[in-house]
Amino acid sequence: MTSKTITTSAYEWVDERLGLSELAAFARHKTVPVHSQSFWYYWGGISLFLFLVQCFTGVLLLVYYRPGAEAYESVRQITFVMHFGWLIRSAHSWSANLMLFAIFVHMFSVFFMKAYRKPREFGWLSGMALLGLATVFGFSGYLLPMDELSYFATKVGLEIPVAIPFIGPVIADMLRGGPEVSEFTVQRFFALHVVVLPALFLPLLGFHLWLVQRYGNAVPPREESKPLSERKNIPFMPSFLRKDLAMWLISLNILALLASVFPWTLGKQADALSPAPLGIHPEWYFMSPFEMLKLLGNWLPGEFGEIAGLLLFSLGIALWVLIPFYDSTRESGQRGRTAHYFGLVAVILLLATTAIGYWTIR
Amino acid sequence: MNYPFWDIPHLGSGWVIGLIAIFHVMISQFAVGGGLYLPMAERKAQRMTDPVMRAEWLKQLVNHSKFFLLLTGVFGTVSGVGIWFAIGLTHPEATSTLIHNFVFGWAMEWVFFLVELTTIAVYYSTWNRIDPKLHLKVGWVYAVASVFTLIIINGILTFMLTPGDAWLAVAGTGREAGKFWEAFFNPTYWPGLLLRVGVCTSLAGIWALITSSRIDGDKQPALKTSLVQWSVKWLMPSFVATPLLLLWYLFMVPQSQRALLTLGIDTIGAGTFSAVTRIALIIVITSATIVGVAYYLAYRNPVEFNLSHAVSVLLLALIATGSGEYAREMLRKPYVIGNWMYSNGVRVTYVDRLNQQGYLTHSLWTWNGAGNGPASSYSRGEAIFRGECASCHTMGGYRSLRLLLDGRDRAGIGNFLVMLHDYKPDSPYRRFMPPLVGTRQDVDDLTNYLNTQVNPPAPKKPLLTAQK
Repeated sequence: MTSKTITTSAYEWVDERLGLSELAAFARHKTVPVHSQSFWYYWGGISLFLFLVQCFTGVLLLVYYRPGAEAYESVRQITFVMHFGWLIRSAHSWSANLMLFAIFVHMFSVFFMKAYRKPREFGWLSGMALLGLATVFGFSGYLLPMDELSYFATKVGLEIPVAIPFIGPVIADMLRGGPEVSEFTVQRFFALHVVVLPALFLPLLGFHLWLVQRYGNAVPPREESKPLSERKNIPFMPSFLRKDLAMWLISLNILALLASVFPWTLGKQADALSPAPLGIHPEWYFMSPFEMLKLLGNWLPGEFGEIAGLLLFSLGIALWVLIPFYDSTRESGQRGRTAHYFGLVAVILLLATTAIGYWTIR
Repeated sequence: MNYPFWDIPHLGSGWVIGLIAIFHVMISQFAVGGGLYLPMAERKAQRMTDPVMRAEWLKQLVNHSKFFLLLTGVFGTVSGVGIWFAIGLTHPEATSTLIHNFVFGWAMEWVFFLVELTTIAVYYSTWNRIDPKLHLKVGWVYAVASVFTLIIINGILTFMLTPGDAWLAVAGTGREAGKFWEAFFNPTYWPGLLLRVGVCTSLAGIWALITSSRIDGDKQPALKTSLVQWSVKWLMPSFVATPLLLLWYLFMVPQSQRALLTLGIDTIGAGTFSAVTRIALIIVITSATIVGVAYYLAYRNPVEFNLSHAVSVLLLALIATGSGEYAREMLRKPYVIGNWMYSNGVRVTYVDRLNQQGYLTHSLWTWNGAGNGPASSYSRGEAIFRGECASCHTMGGYRSLRLLLDGRDRAGIGNFLVMLHDYKPDSPYRRFMPPLVGTRQDVDDLTNYLNTQVNPPAPKKPLLTAQK
């Protein structure tokens, strides 16, 4: 038997059992629209790529990381003793930040393309859930090195849920594993970071990707108004896939540059008895909500202000998440424009409050 | 030493030059490579047998030359002056040495520069207005003038890394300008020139992809295909020759400066002392990616190649160019002019004198203890920090000394500074840091100053009544 015959026989054997030909046929017939806004289609793929990088580097970090009382020492060893540990840790942290950035870009591009409308409501909702989980990934991972900055930032961060009436303090205590951030908190955050969150994230990601395959890429309203004959598509295999992979490669380059030239630093070991260092602030993706709550707190001082701020903030997020249900019309009209302006206000608010947050760090 | 110090907190003076230089290099090297691209593309178009295709190519070249004129003539020129301004302020000692040696070289460069600016303006404004053959000749004049600007500036840039034994033998005697040509055609001149020519042709192709990507592939598929594919070919020569040229270049660099690269290779696993090695690896990865991305996105799919793809390739080129320039600067450490002047402006031959007489004794623009100036040793320490450390370090930003010295008490900081002062042959810091020069008192003053910055005195506890 020649090697070609062996390969063909092996493929047929697998195909008979797994239906690879059907997948190949599906991929052959799948198309991607081409128009002036096509660039935004890459951002979902870039987010996925960065997530894969995090899985890979996360598993490598898991080999040496020890949660609990030894957390700081193990991260110190990873950073300064293990060969290329600094690079793996740096790539993990940078890819997490880049992934959140890519998800935000993806979310806003989906929003402005109105890609949440029928039949893609579940795509939007699952995407929002994935973003929520990604931020919790970020929050839980941030504490794990247990250095001074992560310790105090987590301490401040966990004071936000305390403002929720009745259940707030219970939630905060449950996350902390006690009244203070300690090694028990690290243990809990570690379990959340490497077991609970992946267990929720992976199936949800699978669902999200399946929906993308099922309904394909949405086109912006302007493109949608064109007759079908005037719209242009390219085959997913190999044309779009090739471009997607090129974008992955470019993302890898940017990640390599950031991770190797600006390695992620490790501060002093956290000491609960020492005063909080100056300049404690949340990560950039939490800066906007943090600043909004702070501004609302200044505007409406006292406990009432805290609750009102949280309610107002929750209402804003609810309106954002539920957009498919009150901007469902396909015709561009007043309702479509209102959602568009809502999106613009959200972008401006996000950027402005983040900038104010960084500007006022003390 | 002889000049006032320009304090740039957080960012550091190196990045002021770096940010302008990376921007400038991307454009100025396009000015050279694009200068070759334009007449070669015009000649190719003129030789086309298909009149429709010829007319479309020439129309596209008119657009490209407009883009070229605006980018190189405006932004390239302004950023070039910006570099002069920045290096004069941040490295006045080194700039003075360069001016004293190469004033004739710069005069020649300015002549070619004026020819460049004039001919590109004439080239763009005479499209379809003069005889095509004459127009092409104007393009060639521009190309030759722009190549000569590179030929000259490369001599000065490579001199800073490897001034050569002939120039070093007369350095400091006042007869340096007599060794102009030896200094100009220094050991790294030729590999440096060929490497830059390669980068120039690549950038010509990459920038041309920007304008070609704007062609509507649905309406003019043949034009877009031919122009995009032809532009991608401009990337090939440099990517084939660069690895060999780079080896040649490194071979010509003195062992003392190559040591930083080998130290980086030895310690890259631990991540210490390896900034230049990491940057060098980035250049390799990014350059390979540019070829792959340009081939798959542009050459194989020219009609679908759009502006966002072209900008992505340009972004990669920016990373590769920036990394290359950064690595070149780092390779020069601990000198700003190889074996002659340390990166903080201290001349190698002055070290013993400064160690005996004190650093501030020779610093004309800083506190020297005379008159009614402050008597605090912190002020002396700060003056020494500014003069000896701040050309590479900031206190709280880039290469932050607060961060680098974090965890050391006064004695620890003092010991570290004594080690830098002693500059023993086996010290790894010798490979990228200048010695700390000055008397024992200077070292103590600097130690005191750094200690107050790294370990600031704890704030006084508020009174209990105040807490209530």
